[in-house]
Order: sequence, then C-alpha cells, then structure tokens
Amino acid sequence: MRELATVASVVREARKRAGLSQRALAERARTAQSVIGRIEAGLSSPSIETLARVLDAAGFELKVELSPKARPDPVIEAYKHDVDRTLLRANLGKSVDERLRVNVEMLLFGNELRRAMRIAEQAE
Amino acid sequence: MIGLERLLEAFADAGVEFIVIGGIAARAHGSARITQDVDVVYARSDMNIGRLVSALAPFTPYVRGAPPGLPFAWSIATVTAGLNFTLTTTIGDIDLLGEVAGGGRYEDLVAHSVSLDAFGHPTLVVGLAWLIHLKRAAGRPKDFEVIAELEALQEEIALLSTPRSRPDAADRPPTRSRRARA
Repeated sequence: MRELATVASVVREARKRAGLSQRALAERARTAQSVIGRIEAGLSSPSIETLARVLDAAGFELKVELSPKARPDPVIEAYKHDVDRTLLRANLGKSVDERLRVNVEMLLFGNELRRAMRIAEQAE
Repeated sequence: MIGLERLLEAFADAGVEFIVIGGIAARAHGSARITQDVDVVYARSDMNIGRLVSALAPFTPYVRGAPPGLPFAWSIATVTAGLNFTLTTTIGDIDLLGEVAGGGRYEDLVAHSVSLDAFGHPTLVVGLAWLIHLKRAAGRPKDFEVIAELEALQEEIALLSTPRSRPDAADRPPTRSRRARA
C-alpha cells in the first residue's frame, strides 16, 4: 500500500507545483476530475501510462528506476521500539503551523526554565 | 529557532530560494522532537545570495560560538566566498548550507522536496524519505534515534494513507433479511 500512497502524494505534489485544481489537471490530462481525486486519495492505482500522462499534463516527466530494496537496519529497528507513536499520531492530526508553533513554544519554555534556574543559583 | 515565522516571512518577501531540512523539516512532517536551530539549503546563484543577504541582514547574523569582535561582515562577498554557515541571529540560530552530505546542492534537492504551507508561505521542505536519506548520509550515531523516529513516522503516514478496506461480508453485522433467515 505504500506504493499507492507514494503515487497519491506525487500526483498531488505535481498538481500543487503546477498551480492546478484537480479539475484543471483532469482536463489537461483528458480524464475526469474523479480519476484525479481517486488517485490523490490513494483509492486507485493508475497504470504507468496514465500516471505519465497526468504528470505530463502538470508539466513533469515520469522517470522509473530500479533500485535495490533497502534492508532494515537492525540498529535503527532496535531504536524504533522506543519511539512513542502516540506523539507522532497526535502530530499528524495537526497542521504544519501547529507542529512548528509547538516547537517554538517548547524552546521558549526551555529558555524560561534556564533563566529561572540561573536566578535560583544566584540566590543560593 | 524562536523567530521561525519571521524568518520564513523575510525569506518569502525577499524571494529567497531555499529548502528546509533537518529538525524543522522533521517537525513539519510530524516529528515529536524539539529542535533548536533551522537548517536550510540555499541556491548559490548570485541573485539568490543577494536576496539571502538582504533578508537576513536585519537579524544581524554572526558566526555561532565565535568570540565577539571578529572581522565578520554579513555580505554578498562573505557568502559568495564561503559555502556553509552556522549562524546566530536575533531571532535564533540558523545553518545556511550551500551543499549537504548525501543531498548535494539546492538544485539537486528540489526534486526531492515538497511544498508545505508554513505560516501562510509556500515553503519547500525536503521530503520525508530524503530527510531520512540525509540523516543516514550524515552517518552520526546521534542520528540513530532520529532516523528511527522518522521511519516510524513514515510507517504511520503510510497507515493513514491506506484506504480502509471494506469489511469482509462475514465480518459485517447481519442485515435484517439475513437475521430473519437465521
């Protein structure tokens, strides 16, 4: 299913970069808006020919290459067990702005804590 | 960086060509890690260096960690003569990279970047797969945990993108007619 998700994101990205709506891209690619919508939603898996035509309509060329399958790195896999996925899922439910703002807020909080600690150390 | 929003605004207003990589790119994709500085890969064209210098000048960039009073001038000549800069500014720390290990220059990375809307500005951010690739290429042990988190993030995104399969007929609750027959 990861391939489907990748195709969906590639088509969406190509359309966004071309500044086209789904309908406009569909017209250029001589297909229906629903076809583009289903591809971008990951609900359909287009043939290579269709994908190439859609990307061409957005001004891009499809290139397909073979590369050896990456084998899982046992060190990384071991670290992965400790990843708190609940935080990731919560972040994925936020907008990009929200994700970035939390970073800023946490930095400010850290700065404030350091300032408070310095004051406390000076008072001792 | 405390002033990330102001930085993106300044870059957008000046038309700077740049790609966000590193921890802020990871945050933008959904990472839970907090990061101190902003890493950007900038285009090395004369025009873009001029825009970059103008955009950052109000924030008085200075070499990070260096003693005060060095003969460092934030200018087109300085950026043209150098490549990668680790800077501190009045709005926070920023790493300006003309080239990055495993990713090359701006022109090489563009194809592996996505445009995200950050604080109202379309911002090029390196794609998650390439962010992992860059972290691997850096080859630093401290990045192992980061790579693990980013790969887990990739898996979570793939799960979200997977269309929900229709439940098998046997798993569906019986309809009235099926209940009637039963």
